[in-house]
Amino acid sequence: MVRVVVIGGGWAGCAAAVTARQAGAEVLILEKTDMLLGLGNVGGIMRNNGRYTASEELISLGAGKLIEITDKAARHSMVDFPGHRHATLYDVTKVEPMVRRLLQEMGVEIRTMARAVDVEKKGAAIKGILMADDSIVEGDVFIETTGSTGPMGNCLKYGNGCAMCILRCPSFGPRTSISQRAGVEDILGQRGDECYGAFSGSCKLNKDSLSDDVRETLDREGVVVLRVPEEDIKMDKLSIKVCQQYALKEFAENVILLDTGHAKLMTSYYPLEKLRKIKGLENARYEDPYSGGKGNSIRYLSIAPRSNAMKVDNLDNLLCGGEKAGLFVGHTEAISTGSLAGHNSVRLVLGMPLLELPRNIVIGDIIAYANERIKTKEGLKKRYTFAGSEYFERMKERRLYTINPEEVRRRVERMDLIDIFSEKLV
Amino acid sequence: MLGGDAALVKRKLECIDAGSEYCPCYLAETNECITCSHLQGKEFCDCNWRGVCIYQEYVWSGYKSKGIRCTCRAALLEKKYLSPNTILFRLGVTRTLARELDNPGAYIFIRNEDKPSYFDVPMSVMAVNTEENEISVAMQVVGAKTKALESVREGLVIRGPYWNGILGQRYLKGMKDGNCLVIARGIGQAPAAKVVRYLCRGDNQVKIIADPGKVGTIFIKEFIGNAPCEIEELDLTSKQGLRIINKYLKNEKYDIVFSGGSDKQHLYIIQEIDKVQDKPYLVVTNNNEICCGEGVCGSCSTRIESGVRVKACKVQLDVRKAIERRILNG
Repeated sequence: MVRVVVIGGGWAGCAAAVTARQAGAEVLILEKTDMLLGLGNVGGIMRNNGRYTASEELISLGAGKLIEITDKAARHSMVDFPGHRHATLYDVTKVEPMVRRLLQEMGVEIRTMARAVDVEKKGAAIKGILMADDSIVEGDVFIETTGSTGPMGNCLKYGNGCAMCILRCPSFGPRTSISQRAGVEDILGQRGDECYGAFSGSCKLNKDSLSDDVRETLDREGVVVLRVPEEDIKMDKLSIKVCQQYALKEFAENVILLDTGHAKLMTSYYPLEKLRKIKGLENARYEDPYSGGKGNSIRYLSIAPRSNAMKVDNLDNLLCGGEKAGLFVGHTEAISTGSLAGHNSVRLVLGMPLLELPRNIVIGDIIAYANERIKTKEGLKKRYTFAGSEYFERMKERRLYTINPEEVRRRVERMDLIDIFSEKLV
Repeated sequence: MLGGDAALVKRKLECIDAGSEYCPCYLAETNECITCSHLQGKEFCDCNWRGVCIYQEYVWSGYKSKGIRCTCRAALLEKKYLSPNTILFRLGVTRTLARELDNPGAYIFIRNEDKPSYFDVPMSVMAVNTEENEISVAMQVVGAKTKALESVREGLVIRGPYWNGILGQRYLKGMKDGNCLVIARGIGQAPAAKVVRYLCRGDNQVKIIADPGKVGTIFIKEFIGNAPCEIEELDLTSKQGLRIINKYLKNEKYDIVFSGGSDKQHLYIIQEIDKVQDKPYLVVTNNNEICCGEGVCGSCSTRIESGVRVKACKVQLDVRKAIERRILNG
């Protein structure tokens, strides 16, 4: 039996658990909070721009279970908003229990409120994960999907302080960098001004606090664009955001709300008094982060150097996914990298060659491209997402962007990779 | 820079003051914080989380330590000899200080008010009356500092609160409906009294084994209130005494064993515990030489595994490791 231990139950960790389980491993997820999905609990945007192509690839590769859930939990689909087309907006209030149930049905063991604090090593191999309660969790192979956000001290030093986001560090304790604890130094993302980290790119407003008009339009259309008063337009704010796909002029001149159960406000943070000057938001209040008027979480402070097969460098049995694996933005990117890490974890234990996805499919290409770029000074200031910015441009240039599922399937078929992630190896 | 095991040991140190109103302390100002990586001069978070972000507290208090402990005069309400070399002081303090000291492991520094500050001597708080704002400490007269206190008539100078008088406090905290053994010898009865009352509040069953030791008397009974505990007198330095402890450990399956006494006594009890199958949690008195209590002066500095130096006045040391170092490695 192969025992896979996944540290961090966000989208990447859940995806890794799915593919490792599909490959036949016994899988345990260690999650420090009381909910899976981490920042996915306040996310919601799927299938916008190139993420559509990536979602279809995941389905063709045999890692479509989580995409099925986000499609099923959609409040709106085929939504267009500035710079973005055909987005699916999943309902953040519904999706976590759906994912939890799926994993339980698949036989994945989930331990919540279980915070990893250190590793036990033998040579270059990790033997076990030391938990905050002093117990040790052993495994054959480990997948780190602890993300790169927070904790409080980082959000204070590199941001505006703890804004009380969904990660809830004060309640559940800080994230630990497992790879760094195992002796592999973290890579750190930067902003335009070379300061470390970047602010999370969006907040959530309580929908009941919006005017009837705005709320009804959101319910109906999925998107509302409201004009920012002239004196409050701040273009420089765009450079501090992680989500460069949303760092567009339209996002400075307008506030853009998306209906994901809460009203997703497409800006890192926005002072409440100014926000309430906007028509329809006179009574607005934040849902996440609770102090979205003051700041947001700081991300990209903990990235592990890795191969394109998602194995962490210089360690025998640690793989990584999600933001831990690069300057990626988004759930689709987390599910993509996590799925590959989960599948390869089983290959690693069995002594099989690890799978590297070819660069003529988008998931293979973004994994390799982000890895190339992170080694450059400029690349450290960029973010990589199918949904926009540098990488979406590249997708279009290389004619990889398509919303035709048949076309995606043909590509995956040509590579002989159909359902590779659902193949049982053990 | 420390690497490998040493770095791990250092990172896992648990500061008793973390998150209290006296945190961050002077150590934060000098990049010597026991818990927070930022306040150790590093760039990123990598702390031994104690439930609060100390860096946040530090920044919010204006990049300064906060809450300097009070040095104040305490009224001497009662001074009584418990034995020819042991004195009980009952002291009147502020309501806040009484409340802060109502905790196992709490201690204060006391000195004769006519003497300079280096006469400060740490003393376990044995009993607290939060209604009358009184605390009691028992002192064995040993050397210059304690002899200077013998002559006190009206009041003395105290400094506090401090909390690291007992190691293994986390085991005491969660203990409910358990079976506990409290072993105390000599002046070790003073901190033991507070432990007994605390455990009894949690509906634990507590058996006390007491040895008069060098103070020559068993005084713990007077200071445990109505706690329904059986007290057995035993010579803990004799082979027979240890045999009896071994018998209890074997037959009773204790959840917690507390040892109040010397490091040697702790070691003997560890050895007896190691002979039984169901190992109880071990809680012991902190016998390091404590001088300032703030992690500054260095007198309590203890070298533990991998060469890591620890400020024993603030750190909840692993009992076994602390004892091994002091007894076995000299």
